[in-house]
Amino acid sequence: MSKDTSKAPRRGRTQWGDLAVRWSFMLPTIVLLILVLAYPIWYTIEISFSSFDMMTFGAGEWVGWENYAWVVDDYRFWESLWVTLVYLIWALPIQIILGFGIAYMINAPWRGRGLLRALFIIPMVVAPVVAGGIWRMLLDPIWGVINWVFGLVGLGPFDWFGDPNLAMATIVIIDTWRWTPFIVLIATAALLALPRDVFEAAKIDGAGRWATLWSVALPLLAPVIAATFVIRWLGAVKMFDIVLASTLGGPGKSTSVINLFIYEEAFRSLNFAESAAMAMIVLVLTMLLTGVFLIGSRKLETMH
Amino acid sequence: MEITKTIAAPKAWLAGTAMAMALAMAMTGPVSAQDGLGTAEEPIELRFLANESFAATWQKTLVPEFNKIYPHINVTIDGVPYPEHLAKLMLDATSTTPDYDLLLVDDPWAPQMATIGALVDLKSPEIAAMTSQDYDWDDLHPAPLAAAQWEGKQYGVPVRANMLLMFYNKSLYESAGVPLPTPELTWDTFFEQAPKLVQDLDGDGTTDAWPLHTFFTRDQLTPTIWQTIMNSNGGRLLDDEGKPAFNDEIGAAALDTQRKLLDYAPPGALGHGFSESLQTFRQGAAASMFMWGSVYKTTAGGSDATTLGKDEVGIQVMPAGSFSAGAHRGVWSLGISTKTDHLDASWAFVQWMSSKEGEAFNASQTGSFPSRLNTLNNPSEPWAEPVYEAIKNAYDVTIKGEMWRMRHPKSDAAQQILADEVARALAGQATSQEALDTAAKRMVRALR
Repeated sequence: MSKDTSKAPRRGRTQWGDLAVRWSFMLPTIVLLILVLAYPIWYTIEISFSSFDMMTFGAGEWVGWENYAWVVDDYRFWESLWVTLVYLIWALPIQIILGFGIAYMINAPWRGRGLLRALFIIPMVVAPVVAGGIWRMLLDPIWGVINWVFGLVGLGPFDWFGDPNLAMATIVIIDTWRWTPFIVLIATAALLALPRDVFEAAKIDGAGRWATLWSVALPLLAPVIAATFVIRWLGAVKMFDIVLASTLGGPGKSTSVINLFIYEEAFRSLNFAESAAMAMIVLVLTMLLTGVFLIGSRKLETMH
Repeated sequence: MEITKTIAAPKAWLAGTAMAMALAMAMTGPVSAQDGLGTAEEPIELRFLANESFAATWQKTLVPEFNKIYPHINVTIDGVPYPEHLAKLMLDATSTTPDYDLLLVDDPWAPQMATIGALVDLKSPEIAAMTSQDYDWDDLHPAPLAAAQWEGKQYGVPVRANMLLMFYNKSLYESAGVPLPTPELTWDTFFEQAPKLVQDLDGDGTTDAWPLHTFFTRDQLTPTIWQTIMNSNGGRLLDDEGKPAFNDEIGAAALDTQRKLLDYAPPGALGHGFSESLQTFRQGAAASMFMWGSVYKTTAGGSDATTLGKDEVGIQVMPAGSFSAGAHRGVWSLGISTKTDHLDASWAFVQWMSSKEGEAFNASQTGSFPSRLNTLNNPSEPWAEPVYEAIKNAYDVTIKGEMWRMRHPKSDAAQQILADEVARALAGQATSQEALDTAAKRMVRALR
């Protein structure tokens, strides 16, 4: 029996050619990622372990963990992490519940539903700085229309930005106004994609709207809710612009979220090395928590 | 005014030659500016990094006037928001290919900029050789001139001086039956009068005019109010060894005073800064305001943004403590980048803008506060007379009480620490003493 040995090199050449084509498709993306992601992260890591040389505006002498020790010893860093956590604990559940709730309520077919969905997009496309400015005007204790409306029913005036306890609630309200529509859109798409027959079966079995929601819709939506939570978490953890435009982190340290603190340390105090160390700590924390949420999300998908 | 011509583009390896040539040319007498700096075919392009609040006005008003003398020097002024201004200056100055020839530096930044070698010493022999004979350094008041000095060198000249001053609404004082403030007003008298200045002007049962407004929000400007009160009571930021001295009894009492001001400010004041306090005063809802004096012209009937008439607004130094009246220096100085390729043209612009003629034009057309005694003593318009009197008074007071922000290469970090801690005290999250002790501890580390 003879073997056709002439085909082996050709197959090898084809495999190499195929590999080259595949890599050539990936190359632009890889280069782009290195430029916009890997390099800045590497630069941040480098600075975080160095003293910052103002003359070259780059990493200077290697200082090991000194910048990290400085950060860990700074009470303001921990306070800002706590403020961020408080914001996340309030904002994320409120937005998820409101978003899916509104989507469920407007899911029934009715005239004008399309227009309403389109209107929902408006808060998302308003620049955060503009949104912060507009809300500052609306909530002004003297001239703001919202306090005026509350005044009509004998409430207020509320010091939305000046009261340390109310200021965080105000940030959550503005953020919820901006991002709930995003969740409504995702939830609406998810609801439309649910199998009709299951709902029809529930109806035939005599399930009411509440029972249908609790026993049919929610279990089916659980993986989508989990995925939405992860997406929104990744957006919310970056909270910065609305705080900058509305409270500047105050009053006191009430709304000084971690990204605002890092920004201030870098671009106002010019403590770039320490800020880089903070950014790395926050990056690692965010990655760890995102990993946990993703595992949870996958488990939910498997369960349902 | 004529400017001596020198060679262009002094590269590092040519510096010695350049200086020799400049000196030689200075000895032969000035050359006509129009003949020497740029041509119609090849004009010199200068870029100027300024604050966005007045960059556009300067571009529209000052540059055409400058071009009447130097038609072949094109100056482009870029505005940048205040919070990003210092970082942008530093980034540009340390870049291998910087964009800007002219750098506008705020009061506390000169040490930082000087330490990284970003600014030309304007009293160096090289610059002296290019300086017009009628450029009068001695006419500049020492208070604003000191803003751009560091370690014995002059890194800029004041082009927009400013002082934290007390504005008052004469109508609201009169309607409350309270005598108009004078420079002798003390903090004690101010607080005695304050309750009378809480007014219901339209008689609807709700307060619509408050005794005062100023900065209370978490911002780097807010500690300047506390510092002014502290300085006017004899307190200091740093001791002679450069260590924090502000967390003593005087400092804590001053911060308590700023907290007390909140009791007489409009609702929401804790979240208010520069814009909100200014708007409140302009709307006639605050009887007094502690604010940067440069807003005077646009507040006292000078713009559509105000409801107050020309004769309705008074201005003077802030109330006195046990040591002196209060004020706080905030001077914008114009410097030249050490990396400019157009040192002579840049100096021509700086000289013109800070000359007697240029400053007088800037003061009358854009409302910038002058630094020259010549301008201060000869106000070109009636509105400027009381204002310049207040500025002169404030200049003297600031020198006496060292009423300026920290002079240190890390002054911005120090100011941010003060902003954090003053904000905590104002929000009631710490006592004044606790907040200042924390600030002092942090500052020792930050200033290492």
